[in-house]
Amino acid sequence: MGCGYSLPDRDSRQLGRPNSENGGGQDAKNLRVKLVLLGDSGVGKSCIVLRFVRGQFDPTSKVTVGASFLSQTIALQDSTTVKFEIWDTAGQERYAALAPLYYRGAAVAVIVYDITSPESFSKAQYWVKELQKHGSPDIVMALVGNKADLHEKREVAVQDGMDYAEKNGMFFIETSAKTADNINELFEEIAKRLPRPVIT
Amino acid sequence: MTESEESIAYPPIDPVNFDLIIVGTGLSESIIAAATSAVGKTILHLDPNSFYGSHFASLSLEDLTSYLNSPPKSITAATTTTSPNDSDYAALNLIQKPLYSDAEFIYRDSTDESSFLRENSRKFNLDLGGPRALFSADKTIDLLLKSGAAQYLEFKGIDASLAYDANEGLMNVPDSRGAIFRDKNLSLKEKNQLMKFFKLVQQHLSDNGDEKISEEDLESPFVSFLEKIQLPPKIKSILLYAIAMVDFDQENSEVCKDLLKTKDGIDRLALYSSSVGRFPNAPGALLYPIYGEGELPQAFCRRAAVKGCIYVLRMPVISLLMDKANGSYKGIRLASGQDLFSHQLILDPSFTIPSTPSLSPKDISSERLEMLSQRDIKGMVARGICITRSSIKPDVSNCSVVYPPRSLYPDQVTSIRALQIGSNLAVCPAGTFVLYFSTLCNDADEGKKLLNASVNALLTLPVSGNTESIPILQSDCEDKKPAVLWGAFYIQKLTTGKFEAISSTPTPDGNLNYNELLDATEKLFGQMYPEEEFFPKVTSPEDTSDDDENGITLES
Repeated sequence: MGCGYSLPDRDSRQLGRPNSENGGGQDAKNLRVKLVLLGDSGVGKSCIVLRFVRGQFDPTSKVTVGASFLSQTIALQDSTTVKFEIWDTAGQERYAALAPLYYRGAAVAVIVYDITSPESFSKAQYWVKELQKHGSPDIVMALVGNKADLHEKREVAVQDGMDYAEKNGMFFIETSAKTADNINELFEEIAKRLPRPVIT
Repeated sequence: MTESEESIAYPPIDPVNFDLIIVGTGLSESIIAAATSAVGKTILHLDPNSFYGSHFASLSLEDLTSYLNSPPKSITAATTTTSPNDSDYAALNLIQKPLYSDAEFIYRDSTDESSFLRENSRKFNLDLGGPRALFSADKTIDLLLKSGAAQYLEFKGIDASLAYDANEGLMNVPDSRGAIFRDKNLSLKEKNQLMKFFKLVQQHLSDNGDEKISEEDLESPFVSFLEKIQLPPKIKSILLYAIAMVDFDQENSEVCKDLLKTKDGIDRLALYSSSVGRFPNAPGALLYPIYGEGELPQAFCRRAAVKGCIYVLRMPVISLLMDKANGSYKGIRLASGQDLFSHQLILDPSFTIPSTPSLSPKDISSERLEMLSQRDIKGMVARGICITRSSIKPDVSNCSVVYPPRSLYPDQVTSIRALQIGSNLAVCPAGTFVLYFSTLCNDADEGKKLLNASVNALLTLPVSGNTESIPILQSDCEDKKPAVLWGAFYIQKLTTGKFEAISSTPTPDGNLNYNELLDATEKLFGQMYPEEEFFPKVTSPEDTSDDDENGITLES
């Protein structure tokens, strides 16, 4: 009814964040993107995030509990910044119960496997298919072989990862959340590959 | 989703003991999962379906059709009819009975259109429990914020609120000073009357207003109060049915099951009023979640998962495990054969236990089982979904419509609500619209008649008769009413939630918003965990990594 004798309660504080749809960035210099992690339980998805966001590594962390998503901003050489809003699966991948909501508006998907586990590599391929079904068509995809420090136990050849990534239009990198090897490189490479908003 | 049901071998669920097991991922179940995990309980949340949301799901065209057509399921395990002799538990088979009946589908007889729909099936997110929307100021929004579920969702305002009138067609609901001023259907006198009435209500609601509505009036029926202050029938009807959203004809005491008191009417006007303009980029009182109502349960489930709740989809429960000694609930047996145990159990409203005594072991008291086999049916709601290629109102993509009682035919005793959602809400492919209809009814025939009349008032249905093969269609130019490409009409049973040793959640109700459902859910939570707060306020830094995440995200 809004009688108009007083202004309606326009509570601008409730308005929340600007739209973080695909490509997210509202201004060309400061992008903001949703990044989702996918991969079998135990491949080190959360460890990669914690290493990237907090510089920590905790080998005892079991299942991801507690955080909805973590944010980290990186600056690129062309003086743009990219703020990643990183979503973890919260364990919902374990019994194939990841909701479509998880993929909504994701600009980046990082699919992780463990180089010592061929099962996790074939599971990664399952997630790529899920992503092709639920994700947006222009999503940037990265295939990550984690636990690269355990090279003496390696069971997935580097070439296999590279070949699969190439076939599916993904970029490929091997990382170690434990030694921090290639962690920053992973996110920098993603940032470079993001589509830039057109400046008008 | 059949293709995703390809063999995914689950590891056994670990652990096997929980505080609470919940079966079904409808809105109430998901809110309870989030609330219960927020206070540190261990929960297992299961769904026999391959999708989230149960009766609150948003489904693809194909999945919706097969879901509505699915026959009653008696979930029997391959080999587990008898439990081992040494077991302390008696296994009781669980039956899932669909809430839906009398499903009818109509298609436009056109090869092009049917292949378009088939190819785009997955681009549809059709609400099983529609029409549904949220008032900007209602408690669902508060709960979304308080629980943290809001951070996973995006909303968009509904552009227009309309009311149907037999003579005038669709009229804008005059719900603000500006809307009254611009209205083309009201006379100057009517506009003044309405302004005066709104002023009266506002004075009553303001803290220092001296002109309060009398206690006697507040307790009287709202319809009598509106008559007393001499509002004309047209305005009365808009206030009662399009703003206060009452279901039954308030002027027909024989049929009215929800006679609204003035004080409750005033509260509903206040909710509507504070919703208009709460968010500057929402044009009216209503919001709708982008991608459909099925996003709401998913958001609460993610909230629960983040707090440690374990999620398993595609996992039917075949039986309940009851203590042989005292007949109390102990746990469940999954289709995988695994037995899991919990202190409490919540079942979605479609589950029942066969009431035939021979099926229940003798040593279990029969009263314990009655609650599940005899669930109170509180009537039914008729629902309809139509897909069109043009809007019912030019230049408006998303709008709500109310058909007040008697607006379609003289013995129409209930309001019918409709909601049109366009492709900018990501529920249908570009160039199409989805319309939802619902009304309370006493039986399927009445429900179908109401739906049919409301659809026909705004849309052109394919010539009916044999719904499978429709003959030649009338040309679209005959009248300007959008043609229905595809439609589904069905009847849903209404049951309320129940707190027992085994609790059950309510079915989707006949309302447009979620307020009553939320009250029932909060009550159920309170009965299960009287010591615990429903979503205590937390300020853990883990919860929100950014202070600007604490809002409702509204796309303009």
